[in-house]
Amino acid sequence: MSKTSSALGYAAPDRVEKWVGRYGPELRRHLGRMTNDADDAEDILQQVWISAVEKPPDDGPGSNVRAWLYRVATNAALDSLARKRFRRCALQSVDFGATTGDLESPDAHFLRLDEKARTRVREECAKLPTKQREAVWLRWAEGLDYPTIAKRLDSSTESARANVHHGMRKLRETLLDIWEEEVER
Amino acid sequence: MTSEPCRVAEEQVLAFVTGDMDPTASLALAEHLGECRGCREQATEYTSLLGGLKSCSAEEAVHWHRFETPFGMMNVATTGTGLSRLSWRQADPEEFVHHLGSLYPDRPAIHDAGRLAKAEHQLHEYFAGERARFELPVDLTRLSSFEREVLECVRTIPFGEVIPYSEVARRIGSPKAARAVGNALNHNPVAIVVPCHRVVRADGSLGGYGGGVDYKRRLLSLEGTPVLFSN
Repeated sequence: MSKTSSALGYAAPDRVEKWVGRYGPELRRHLGRMTNDADDAEDILQQVWISAVEKPPDDGPGSNVRAWLYRVATNAALDSLARKRFRRCALQSVDFGATTGDLESPDAHFLRLDEKARTRVREECAKLPTKQREAVWLRWAEGLDYPTIAKRLDSSTESARANVHHGMRKLRETLLDIWEEEVER
Repeated sequence: MTSEPCRVAEEQVLAFVTGDMDPTASLALAEHLGECRGCREQATEYTSLLGGLKSCSAEEAVHWHRFETPFGMMNVATTGTGLSRLSWRQADPEEFVHHLGSLYPDRPAIHDAGRLAKAEHQLHEYFAGERARFELPVDLTRLSSFEREVLECVRTIPFGEVIPYSEVARRIGSPKAARAVGNALNHNPVAIVVPCHRVVRADGSLGGYGGGVDYKRRLLSLEGTPVLFSN
């Protein structure tokens, strides 16, 4: 690895090449199935390799590079599918230019909504039962981790996580109904 | 969009999208998403939802807190702009949260003692007779421009002094609007901090008070202001 790429924390080209050779074909097939579009799959795969160069996964003993690559690739594919779905619906003002982050971590997400859609999210979040509302908001809008949320809610970490998940399940039911209705209008 | 029945529970799909899954399970789920259309759609929906939630900022909530004071439990709330609500009327916190929900339907109500620590501290100092002036930004944006003008004027009345409704009306350039001034004060969302209790009738009697006239008397007494007459 050159001094420059080492200083930046980049992966050495030969490491990435090894991953491309070993995992490239199966990832391409996986992304093809996910997106049902060969061009999209190829674009996403290129993003995955860029991510692997810029923020390489740990490939030491006990690590799982394949799992990391699948996670990054799958999240990017889901993000692409979500954007396409939004493009079809009335929320066309989704800000496709801005992003909430790069492919810098396996959990990075890109979708960024416009003011109207964000207001919908806040309105529905405001209607959740207290613990779910606070847990969902603190986790995603305020970016707190589960132990911190647990302290704030005076609960266990598991309970904090459960409240986030229960709240999100309710939000999926209500928000998607609303968004779907807007598609039909 | 409906999901097809599948051996994978929705909870697992959600855990994958939120990153709450260990790498081995995550790999299995990722591979499954390539095979199962129903789960893929579900995951796409959660990805959309997560994007929406992450697009919100902390300041778009209304944060609240409550603490003990000589007036009983004091409920306070703040927006990104400043203190937006102060009330000792709701004995039950859920009642206060419900009230916030009706005022701010698009702002989730989130308990946050830290964000309101400064307000709590200053109010304790005030009740202990150690503070004459609040140094807190307030959010009066829900009020009409006239109401805001009245309350901004009232904020300038010094600790220990009172002025009549008619004087407030004169100071804002509407000398005939003394009654409207009274109505505007009744809409003060942050009593005490915006000291509407320092506005009395021209004859020196107390006049009205949204929180109850007895509290107005107690506040003026705490400030050492002589009150000539009860109503």
